[in-house]
Amino acid sequence: MDLLTLSFAVINGLLIGGIYGGVALGLSLIFGVMRVINFAHGSFLMLAMYCSYLLWASLGLHPYVSILATVPFLFIVGYFVQGVVISPLFKRERALVVEPTSALLLTAGVYLVVDNIVLMAFGPDVRSVAVDITYESIFVAGLPINLARLIGFLAAIVVAAALSFWLKHSEMGRAIRATAQNRDAASLSGINVQRVYNVTFGLGCAVLGLFGALLVPFFSITPNIGLSFGIKSFLVVVLGGIGSIPGSILGGLLLGVFESVASQFVTATSAAIFSFGLFIAILLLRPAGLMGRA
Amino acid sequence: MSTPALEVRDLWSGYGDQDVLRGIDLVLEPRTIVALIGANGAGKSTLLRTLSGLLRPHRGEAKLYGESIFCLPPHKVVERGFVQSPEGKQLFLGMSIRENLLVGAQNKRARARRDQTLEEVFELFPILRERQALNASTLSGGQQQMVAVGRALMALPRVLALDEPSLGLAPIMVDRLFESIAKIKERDLTILIIEQNVFQVLEMADYGYVLENGVMTLNGTGAELLADDHLRASYLGL
Repeated sequence: MDLLTLSFAVINGLLIGGIYGGVALGLSLIFGVMRVINFAHGSFLMLAMYCSYLLWASLGLHPYVSILATVPFLFIVGYFVQGVVISPLFKRERALVVEPTSALLLTAGVYLVVDNIVLMAFGPDVRSVAVDITYESIFVAGLPINLARLIGFLAAIVVAAALSFWLKHSEMGRAIRATAQNRDAASLSGINVQRVYNVTFGLGCAVLGLFGALLVPFFSITPNIGLSFGIKSFLVVVLGGIGSIPGSILGGLLLGVFESVASQFVTATSAAIFSFGLFIAILLLRPAGLMGRA
Repeated sequence: MSTPALEVRDLWSGYGDQDVLRGIDLVLEPRTIVALIGANGAGKSTLLRTLSGLLRPHRGEAKLYGESIFCLPPHKVVERGFVQSPEGKQLFLGMSIRENLLVGAQNKRARARRDQTLEEVFELFPILRERQALNASTLSGGQQQMVAVGRALMALPRVLALDEPSLGLAPIMVDRLFESIAKIKERDLTILIIEQNVFQVLEMADYGYVLENGVMTLNGTGAELLADDHLRASYLGL
């Protein structure tokens, strides 16, 4: 394999990997704070993609403009899914010191419901958004870099940095970190834990609202696209360290590059085998993830 | 007689269907220190967890200055003015001391005068001012206890509950802590204190209750309890 192809694969891997990291941010945040593995994570991304697609198809809005709608929409969806569907679990388990593992099953149910509602409403057809940016590239040292992917990559870095900053410096961010560390102590300090959970879940989904719109220029949309992203996000989060925001980006980059380079040697579908191989290897060597605390 | 700061009547509570507390009565007159004494497993922490709203009571009534705090969610209980510093400190160890204290001031009332209260907490525990930027995990046990008490004070409690504040502290730190608690009382505050240091706490307390197997078996002024034969035999080994 020549160097040019390889560097092209690495660059492409970094770009898509950054986007994987950005998509996984919400999963990591939600798990870090609530100890809930949101199985429906990918479904919310799919929902954001359909939302962006619909705004383009009906109103002719550019996907990047539709961000103004998808982000608040997904925040509201997340806020209410937590407030209405998931929070009864926490209330039921309030009296006991139990981590709500049942939340995994519950969110798996949310995944089934959301995916099937979308399938019922839109059918299994593959849809795509035709905008100019899909085909635009800039050239760096003779290598073409797809603009839409570059924007997605940069967005992931910016969102990760902004989220870290906000968590560190805002009042709500402090309440979220306190709740993540010790739910009971947070309650006893007067933090409204249910509200913190609602906001956290809403935020985690709002990030998906952004990436859904950033993905549609170069990703076809189907009702079941969510699952593959959900599984990748899970991989990314475990690779990078659960609950760690920089870890999420790092895990994404690693997975992206690995996938992209591996698919130069084998078919893209078999490359997934190697991704999971990498996953197992890292879990064996560093069970807490690359940036996680053991 | 004035309205009690805290009034608990016939409180039944526990985990699941199991009753740990079986008909608790407890009255705290305003601006007093009340000690709650009992062996491990008697239900002292269960009582505090129930009053704070972490545990759902089975039946009974709890009033703070005449207003019911029964079955409210924990953050509402804090807002009304019943604040506890939990057993084992329960600090946010990934955060600085200053941040730990700031987290305590969540409700509107507390937030409005947060800087002022922070200043008062630093006056009470000067060491915390020096170390405010450090991570809470770098502190000694006694200093961590100061942060836990300080964090509770940040919420501007009307009734402050301290769950075993001297647990795991060196004797000298226990003395200092009790001095601080006496100072806190001067802040027009009612204090409910759970302690293993029975002798020390009863000397300081205005009134005391003894909890055994989920039932209050004895109550009286600190001096009365210290003179009680049963208490002397069971808790002081005299």
